[in-house]
Amino acid sequence: MKSLHAFMKKEMTEQLRSGRLLILGILFVLFGIMNPAIAKLTPWLLEMFAESLEGSGMTVTEVTVSALDSWMQFYKNVPMALIAFVVLQSSIFTKEYASGTLVLSLTRGLERFHVVVSKSAVLFTLWTAGYWLCFGITYAYNAYFWDHSTVRNPVFSAVCWWLFGVWVIALMILFSVVTNANTGVLLGTGSVVLISYLIGLLPKISRYLPTFLTDGNSLIFGIAETEKYMAALGIAVVSALLCFSFSIPIFNKKQL
Amino acid sequence: MDMLRIGDLHKRFGEKEVLRGLHLSVPEHSIYGFIGKNGAGKTTAMKTVLGLLQADAGEITVNGEHVVYGQTATNRYIGYLPDVPEFYPFMTAREYLRFCGEICGMKKAENESRCKELLDLVGLGEETHRIKGFSRGMKQRLGIAQALLHRPKLLICDEPTSALDPVGRKEILDILLAVRKQTTVLFSTHILSDVERICTDVAFLNNGAAKIQGKLSEMKMRYRREEYRLETERETDITILRKAFPQMKSVGQNQVVFSANDYAAEVVLRFLADRKISLLKWEREEPTLESLFMEVTRK
Ligand SMILES: Nc1ncnc2c1ncn2[C@@H]1O[C@H](COP(=O)(O)OP(=O)(O)OP(=O)(O)O)[C@@H](O)[C@H]1O
Ligand SMILES: [Mg+2]
Repeated sequence: MKSLHAFMKKEMTEQLRSGRLLILGILFVLFGIMNPAIAKLTPWLLEMFAESLEGSGMTVTEVTVSALDSWMQFYKNVPMALIAFVVLQSSIFTKEYASGTLVLSLTRGLERFHVVVSKSAVLFTLWTAGYWLCFGITYAYNAYFWDHSTVRNPVFSAVCWWLFGVWVIALMILFSVVTNANTGVLLGTGSVVLISYLIGLLPKISRYLPTFLTDGNSLIFGIAETEKYMAALGIAVVSALLCFSFSIPIFNKKQL
Repeated sequence: MDMLRIGDLHKRFGEKEVLRGLHLSVPEHSIYGFIGKNGAGKTTAMKTVLGLLQADAGEITVNGEHVVYGQTATNRYIGYLPDVPEFYPFMTAREYLRFCGEICGMKKAENESRCKELLDLVGLGEETHRIKGFSRGMKQRLGIAQALLHRPKLLICDEPTSALDPVGRKEILDILLAVRKQTTVLFSTHILSDVERICTDVAFLNNGAAKIQGKLSEMKMRYRREEYRLETERETDITILRKAFPQMKSVGQNQVVFSANDYAAEVVLRFLADRKISLLKWEREEPTLESLFMEVTRK
């Protein structure tokens, strides 16, 4: 237990001193503020450009924005936050393979699974904290600016997207123990997500795929019922757990 | 008792057979020099002992316990200094040592005092910069400190002196000598003068096996050649000598070597005295590790 604690502390120190914690913090807060800000500014921006648009033959009618527009911004921006998160953290294992820093810790008697557990715990914690911080900021502004009662399932849809992020990070951990290079991690994770997305274009299967969880808009508009998401939720949880539990024995046999 | 015992170790990387039946036994409290040229497989053998590489065949025991690949139970007896030690660059030396202590489950107070003691031993006690800016010598010294942290019974150093200047080399060798009382040292090298300076035992690794191994003193005795070298003042004397003793070989200016099997030393000495040949040098040739190394690697 003591060594697990020590290694986790080392991971957090690294996040802090390498500046990754700061970048992620800024990123999530910025996105959190941007979502309502963009929604709030849209009518004003349109008005400003109205004259020039009319000149080119377009007519601008009065636009009204609501909390829904801000939430739509949220679901448009959060994929970018996840991509930034994955790119930033994709070297969390591979950097240690390349530099050989793990060898000394392991020959000191650090259990190999402690490495996987520590790094995963740090990743999931950062994602969870960052994501809900972003969500919280957007939610607070939305409730302040607009009538929030028009928004359906705000929390449930956010949980779905958060879980999608967890699933992607679990994939990233799996590819981090399988491959040795940063590019391998990004390519592997990216292709699995892409494949899931492409298969999801077939209407019959789409609701069973983790990528289905990213459709937050249908939930907030009340177009889709929450029950429709249960299958994808279950499958995302199970496959994330599988990824994680495969990562440990694979890492145990990995040549470092 | 042997602290480390390697029996019939085989390891190949693809087509390349690096170790072919390596046997090695390292007695307790020895300083064991593990000598081999570049690519001989020294690092490979050491990593296998640490359970970092999987052997194709063979058996390794450390302090009587079997080494299992991927598991690290036997590593609690071992302190390891890799050939190029890499530490977390964002930590200071003290933080890194403390981290190592926590990993092997040391008590907080003991950890603190041990860190201080070791940092002073390797001369990094006053260092407050992060490891990012350390020189190779500083990293090597921090490497030894971390290897000694948990008072290992066996200290394995992979070419600890290769990258260092003469002063740095001497410092590292002195540290190794100083810890000999508490531990057994196995270190690999191709710097033979280092071996002659501190080792009690040596093994030469060539073609994937330990060609010769044993006590350094015994080895020198066994490979002692009955050879003499002499140097005269005048060149003409050499011609006289070689006429009288045709088996003498001339080497360099005014120098000849001969074997005691060909001519007894006292016969040659009497001849020199009779002819009043003035000598500059008369010496018995010691077998150097260099000549042994050459002999072993040539075969
Ligand atoms: N992971 C690996 N994959 C393939 N070949 C390897 C690997 N590790 C080592 N080798 C090969 O094994 C041989 C022995 O390497 P090793 O590093 O053990 O030699 P060494 O005695 O430590 O040499 P040096 O004095 O240069 O450190 C080399 O020829 C090397 O090419
Ligand atoms: Mg080597």
